[in-house]
Amino acid sequence: MSAELLHYRPWRGTFHGPLSASWPIARVALKMMFRRKLFWAIYALALLMFLMFFFGQYLLSWAESQADESGVRIFGAKVAPGDLIHGLREVLQLNGRKGEMYALFFRFQGYMVMVLLALAGSMIVGNDFQYGTLPYYLSKPISRVHYLLGKCLAVAVFINLMTTLPAIVLWVQFGLLDTWSFFYQKADLLLGIIGYGLVLTVSLSALLLAAAVWVRRTVPLIMAWCTLLFFCRVLADALVFVLNMDWRWRLIDLWDCTYIVGTWLLQADPGPRQPAIGWAASILVIVSIVCTMYLILRVRAVEVVK
Amino acid sequence: MAFIHLQGVSRYFGRQAALRDVNVDLEPGRIGLLGPNGAGKSTLLKILLGLLAPTKGSGTVLGWPIAPAEGQDTGFAGWLGSWRETAATLGSAGSALRRTIGYMPEADSLVPGLTGAEYVALAGELCGMPRKHAERRAHELLTCLGLEDARYRRLEEYSTGMKQRLKLAQALTHDPPVLLLDEPTSGLDPSGREAMLRLLLSLGKDHGKSIILCTHLLGDVERVCDSVVILHHGRVLRHGGVEELRARRQDRYRLQVRAETDDAAAANLAPKGAITNVPADEAHRSRGLERFKEDLRLEGVNVLADDGRGEMRVAVPKGWVSRAFFALAENSGVTVRGFQHDDEDLEELFHRVLSEGNGNER
Amino acid sequence: MIADRSSVTAAVAETIARPSFPVPTMDMGRDERPSELASPVLLFDHVSKWYGPVIGVNDVTLELRPGIMGLVGANGAGKTTLMRLATGQLRTDLGTVEVRGISTLKAAAKRYVGWCPDADVFYEEMSGRQFVRVMAQLCGFDRREAKRRADEVIELVGMNDAMGGGAERTLRGYSKGMRQRIKLAQALVQDPELLILDEPLSGIDPVGRQESIALFHQLARRGKCLLVSSHELEALEKLTDQVIVMARGRIAAVGTLPRIREMFDDVPLAIRIDCSEKRRLSAALLELDDVSGIELGEQATLTVRAANPKRFFKKFAEVVLEEGFDVQHLEILDDSARAILGYLLAGTAHS
Repeated sequence: MSAELLHYRPWRGTFHGPLSASWPIARVALKMMFRRKLFWAIYALALLMFLMFFFGQYLLSWAESQADESGVRIFGAKVAPGDLIHGLREVLQLNGRKGEMYALFFRFQGYMVMVLLALAGSMIVGNDFQYGTLPYYLSKPISRVHYLLGKCLAVAVFINLMTTLPAIVLWVQFGLLDTWSFFYQKADLLLGIIGYGLVLTVSLSALLLAAAVWVRRTVPLIMAWCTLLFFCRVLADALVFVLNMDWRWRLIDLWDCTYIVGTWLLQADPGPRQPAIGWAASILVIVSIVCTMYLILRVRAVEVVK
Repeated sequence: MAFIHLQGVSRYFGRQAALRDVNVDLEPGRIGLLGPNGAGKSTLLKILLGLLAPTKGSGTVLGWPIAPAEGQDTGFAGWLGSWRETAATLGSAGSALRRTIGYMPEADSLVPGLTGAEYVALAGELCGMPRKHAERRAHELLTCLGLEDARYRRLEEYSTGMKQRLKLAQALTHDPPVLLLDEPTSGLDPSGREAMLRLLLSLGKDHGKSIILCTHLLGDVERVCDSVVILHHGRVLRHGGVEELRARRQDRYRLQVRAETDDAAAANLAPKGAITNVPADEAHRSRGLERFKEDLRLEGVNVLADDGRGEMRVAVPKGWVSRAFFALAENSGVTVRGFQHDDEDLEELFHRVLSEGNGNER
Repeated sequence: MIADRSSVTAAVAETIARPSFPVPTMDMGRDERPSELASPVLLFDHVSKWYGPVIGVNDVTLELRPGIMGLVGANGAGKTTLMRLATGQLRTDLGTVEVRGISTLKAAAKRYVGWCPDADVFYEEMSGRQFVRVMAQLCGFDRREAKRRADEVIELVGMNDAMGGGAERTLRGYSKGMRQRIKLAQALVQDPELLILDEPLSGIDPVGRQESIALFHQLARRGKCLLVSSHELEALEKLTDQVIVMARGRIAAVGTLPRIREMFDDVPLAIRIDCSEKRRLSAALLELDDVSGIELGEQATLTVRAANPKRFFKKFAEVVLEEGFDVQHLEILDDSARAILGYLLAGTAHS
């Protein structure tokens, strides 16, 4: 081995700043997730939902062009175009001009996103604690902030891959089916979509990372995550609809809070008995700040050298 | 330029002092960091890595300053202070310092699922190297350290020896001038340990890197390091070159003698089975040794220690000539197989310094 | 350092190739102790063990009696397998393992064995004392007896006062050294005759090391048999001079280190001599038959290669006394455990 050491060569070059380290961290986390079959299974389900909206828009557009016909054949059954249009428009709210469609899409995708994030959280962060990778990261010339930023970036990619990007595709598709003027008339919808995605990203990634750092193993993380999101939703529904308590109790349901903020951004109607945007936004901001503070405290340098 | 310069560095955790008034000025070189458990070694390492701020004092590593002292407050001011500390270490303070240091952690710090080359390349990227440069360097380093065949294999499949070399590789990716190694030979078998120590010595001597070696194995420190820092209860008891700190004892010798015995038994290859502590021909041997010891005593030599098998330590009177050992040996029918000046070795130095430190504290 | 690897390889290969040694009715001329007539503490009889297609130990025969025995070898040589077979955690594929005449697979044999593993596996929420007490209860002692033994054994390993009453704190906060002591305590809790220790000194600071070594000597004097596996050869040399060297699943050599060194009788010893008149000394030494080479080093140093150490040292003494040389330093360079093992393991690795 000593003979080989003759080949040790020094390296001289320029270094980038510490911020450039966040992307490699994110990239590694993404690679870990993309290797898993479970991830692709869940993503396929999410894509199914997207495809339903996608082809639904085509169907609606085609049905509208056949509006003066008496009946159209779909899968061998005769359906009146008017009924079809009505069904698609009202039930699925497939109206690309209004924000409701995108809000509904986000809400449906939400279930898949939550499941995926439970899986991702333990892989992205929990693994680092479990396998003791934290000293490896923190002993490099980066600080905790860059480390957390990298992880947040990875979570952001997952969230946006399932919600914002498909929603933008739907928006573009509707514009192509409709008129060219749609694109600049309804550009605010695009901004609303992006905004909704941003809200989801920031709040969910902070929440997920905080939960993953607190509870490091997979199964307890899934339990904690489900409690936070699914159980709280059920609880909120029970309190407000069954026990008829004040509608502000719906704020426990964090997903609902994001929904309220998102519909406000998309200028859509959030539905009956929802708290006002101000409440929802404050709750999200407070939760995000608390989680971030917890993260900064918990991911400490003292873990590096035992 | 001074390698490490620490001035009045103290670190308190609440009331408890982990480090007390550390003042050292170390030249570049290979330094061993010794001390019993709880002496404050890990705290010192964290401060050198810029991950922890001292409560008092300041210092630099190769010119780069360590985190600024935060002061010791109690109560509300202390709580506020801990937030200040958090905010301070939040930014890039200390990260410039860490660019000059390559840290090899004691525990396995692997990213499961990556291959060896990816792991080492990631280390380079985290330090700010461009991606292609980091990847190229990773391949070069792994070849250099003998992991050429294994670099495309997943990290979970690596053996202990391979993992240790991998950890060293990831510390070297950005070619730092300083290496901070925490138990680099733990878990390695003797040949692996030998290879690692030779490697470290070469990196220190031939490539001019400064090495800080933190370990319990004094043998490693003796092989690699030319100066030591001894910590105990948070204080630096001694620091300096090993050769300077060693007590020279001109009148002390270590002797290895062996008595004459039948060759028949010794010529057999060692058989298996029926092992006890005292082989049969020891009885005959010890008689010869006893005679030799008697003769030594008669000549005024003080036998300080003797393990009964021919290894002994003696203190000779003034004017003693080494030839006399041979003469006496011939008379008693034993053969001298070795004798050396019994200067303090590192272990004795360590124990002496520690007991002096304990004495001073009382 | 080895002049000719193939000769070492041949020596070692010969040992390994030998099918087995007869369990010696050794008339080593021993002054009989009553214990030696009793059954050995640990007996391996032509034991082999496979892990699927990979062989872990290959036809190992071994008898251990009270005292300290070192176990050395490269990683993957079969040491862990050997120890697990001895503690009854593994079943042999061929051959039998017995402790005091009882097969290790029987529960009765485990009464005589204490195992101190390499890995730390504890119930982290318990305190040290609690843990040892639970282990004692698992050994079958009733509550009062378990408590008494636990206290005794914790006193023995020095966890009582030196660590600041450390035995009361939860294991989670323990340093490596304290963990090692607790591991040792739980191994000793049923006062076993056979103690198997896997890397007992790793992670312990030099002060703690000395205490542990003293403790091991004390246990050996009490009549226990200790099998200590370690990579730290310097510590092992302080502990014992009897070692078992394992390589590739076989026992390559057993005995004291100097004896093992003598196996390499065709590898000349490297001896360092410091003398002010080194050239004159070199000329005188070259006259000797056994000297095969002399290298002049820096300052006053010579390195001599000599074939037959016994003869050489005798002749050397004569030369020194006759010619009146003033020798400052005399040292066999490759007599240490590290060097011997280097020859042995390198030989097996390349064979």
